[in-house]
Amino acid sequence: MVKNSHQKYALVFWMVFCSLILSLAGCAGVEKEGAVVTASDKKVTLAFPWSPQSLDPHGSDSWEIMRSGMGETLVKLNEELKPTPWLAKEWKQENETTWVFKLEDNVSFHNGKAMDAASVKESLLRSLKKDQKAKDLLQVESMEVLSENELKIVTKQPNAALIAHLADPSTIIADVTTIKDKNNDPAFTGSFKFKQFNKDESLVVERYEDYWGKEALLSEVTIKFIPDGNTRLMALQSGDVDAATDIPIDNITLLEKDEKFDVFTAPSLRTHMLLFNMSSPLFKDVALRKVIDMSIPRADIVKSIMMDQGTEAKSPFPEILPFGKVEKEKATESIEQLMKQRGWKKNADAMWEKQGKPFEVTLLTFPQRPELTVMAETIQSELLNEGIKVNIRQVENIDEVLANDDWDLSMYSMLTAHTGDPQYFLNIFYQSDSESNVSHYVSPSLDLMIGELNHTTDWTKRNQLALQIQEMINKDLPQSFIVHPKTVFGVRNGVKGFTPHPIEYYYIHSQIDVNE
Amino acid sequence: MIRFCLERIAQLMMVIFFVSTLTFLLLRLAPGDPAYILLTTHDVPASEEALSALRKELGLTEPLWTQYVHWVTDAFTWQWGTSYVSKEPVTEELFRRIPATLELATAGLMVMIFITFILGISTAIYSNGLLDLVGRLMALLGSSIPSFWLGFLFIYFFSVQYGWLPSMGRGTLKHLILPAITLGLGMGTIYARVLRTNMLEMMNQHFIKAAKARGLSNRRILVFQVFKHAFLPVVTMLGTSFAFMLGGSIIVESIFSWPGLGKYIVEAINMRDYPVIQGYVMFTSFLFVSIHIVVDMIYVLLDPRLRVR
Repeated sequence: MVKNSHQKYALVFWMVFCSLILSLAGCAGVEKEGAVVTASDKKVTLAFPWSPQSLDPHGSDSWEIMRSGMGETLVKLNEELKPTPWLAKEWKQENETTWVFKLEDNVSFHNGKAMDAASVKESLLRSLKKDQKAKDLLQVESMEVLSENELKIVTKQPNAALIAHLADPSTIIADVTTIKDKNNDPAFTGSFKFKQFNKDESLVVERYEDYWGKEALLSEVTIKFIPDGNTRLMALQSGDVDAATDIPIDNITLLEKDEKFDVFTAPSLRTHMLLFNMSSPLFKDVALRKVIDMSIPRADIVKSIMMDQGTEAKSPFPEILPFGKVEKEKATESIEQLMKQRGWKKNADAMWEKQGKPFEVTLLTFPQRPELTVMAETIQSELLNEGIKVNIRQVENIDEVLANDDWDLSMYSMLTAHTGDPQYFLNIFYQSDSESNVSHYVSPSLDLMIGELNHTTDWTKRNQLALQIQEMINKDLPQSFIVHPKTVFGVRNGVKGFTPHPIEYYYIHSQIDVNE
Repeated sequence: MIRFCLERIAQLMMVIFFVSTLTFLLLRLAPGDPAYILLTTHDVPASEEALSALRKELGLTEPLWTQYVHWVTDAFTWQWGTSYVSKEPVTEELFRRIPATLELATAGLMVMIFITFILGISTAIYSNGLLDLVGRLMALLGSSIPSFWLGFLFIYFFSVQYGWLPSMGRGTLKHLILPAITLGLGMGTIYARVLRTNMLEMMNQHFIKAAKARGLSNRRILVFQVFKHAFLPVVTMLGTSFAFMLGGSIIVESIFSWPGLGKYIVEAINMRDYPVIQGYVMFTSFLFVSIHIVVDMIYVLLDPRLRVR
């Protein structure tokens, strides 16, 4: 009896053991996921770091909806970042505050309903109600349907940037009835329509057969949400995905060495910068801000920290923008001259001091953008060579600390012209009374110039004004601009048309293709 | 037994109340403005109007005690508020992700038990041999290798180099293998050492000597006498480990993009999604205490001496 039960246990044990081994072995020859290519049915799988929480285009997920290729706006920004027609085929300005938009004919939402001026008005009204950013960007007073495909927009005050701002994803045109009702699939106008959404995992979009523009070459696109940069890279290397965005800079060489992959880069509209606290006793003096600015080794940072995936910054806006080509004046005085003029002397340790107090400052940095901390360390070492002591302080939430006054310097990063226009950023970041004016920079003359920009409608004049504003910023130096980073994509050979764009939400479009 | 259960349930309620109150206060003391983080997700600056409108909408402008009263009242009615990010009820958000975490934690536990049994019993039988040395080395490695490194190592070899298993995501059994091994391997090797030590201690007990004297084979004594007694302390550890795996698979879920609670809570912390963080803490504290109660009950059932006491 005992022997029998012993044998029974042994049998059960070996059965469990063998089944585990077999299940592991069975997984060895598994087919890889990724592109499935047939003549009529081309699919591609992409890895994005960002994951939408919902499919509502009017709120915090608007960028993700736009990125999926489902959503479209009235206006699109081209490669030169100039506003071009999209769902609106033309527009004209009737007076300082009134614009009339003529909409594309034959556009239908993904549920088959035709897009007309009334549905566009409904959609814009919803985005104005749900998203304060849309309200800030458009400054709409009223909207009026003039005909089936003509819409009049009246702004509260002259808003010359209205056209560029209509390219912002917060203004995606949708059939609002499908968004309000959770049982319906959301209906947009893009070349791909919604198929399946697995929160935190993936979003599958499929070709919209009745698309008003060029029909999509791919039948289906699967977007996998992989927040970790290394996992995203490994998913690409292992063939789980065909392309991945935002490849960590350190790993670019890995992909470049592998013939199976291409690495694509494009300039972004992002700027890494060093903020000065203009309320800090030391940095009230522009000369000391200049000293710090002159000590920043921009070329070294681009080469060794950004691995050449960026350009030296001269102003808040990158050079690809028509108003980004700012010539920075060369310093006429050396750091030593500037310091001595202000009464600073070098002590026995070769450090600058004044009235017995050394030149010692605190530099804030934060973990969310690790490259900024490395830059901070480089700047710290460079300033030490110049005789200035920098203490680096890493903070969890940079914006909370910046709202207080007890800091001197801080690393920071901003998307400065996300609609290809300078107006929104300059208003929010530099107006004296703005809460987002983190450097506490107060300049009545700059406020006036920004006000003038807000009212100027002529494109050339706007660009000139934006350049003058940047020259003034560079003179007053509330920030030192360090680098404009590039966007880096890793793409498996054979995938065509999936390339980075300076505008971060135009990645998926109808002309992406994959080799058969 | 009924009194024992009632006592433990009262303890559970107290623990959850204190933990949730503490979490509420600590979250409010921690730096971070949810409205600012939400509005600047893409690094585009936000206007003052947008910030104040959102703060008001989220109820962040109300005094702290009003917010606390709202939270406690809601918690008692099993309404844990609405996520700041998704605008959906926290309970729905959490329960949607529980199956994925449960699946991973169960698989991790199975890996752990498998390793504990195989390695623990075999190293006890062949103590001081080569196998024991290997077991000791594995326990050392298991306790010292961080799971994020081990996870990447597995992805590198089994996905990138050989392409045998998927590198990320959830779906089929093959998706589960790498995260489950990453989760279970470290603890498994450590518990194997615990089991081994317990078994070797048991071997010197009088009743084992008596069994030997009765002529039972060494293998039979090991499996049916020694293992049965040596396994008892491991039960407690297994229960705690399961709770840890459910609540603490954060790193593994993030590495493998596993759509479970761990990955979700990391994102909620980054976004300062207070209702989600509070709901998660309530849920995990409930889970931890409940599992401890169940383990205590199993312990009482397994060891008749405890019932007498």
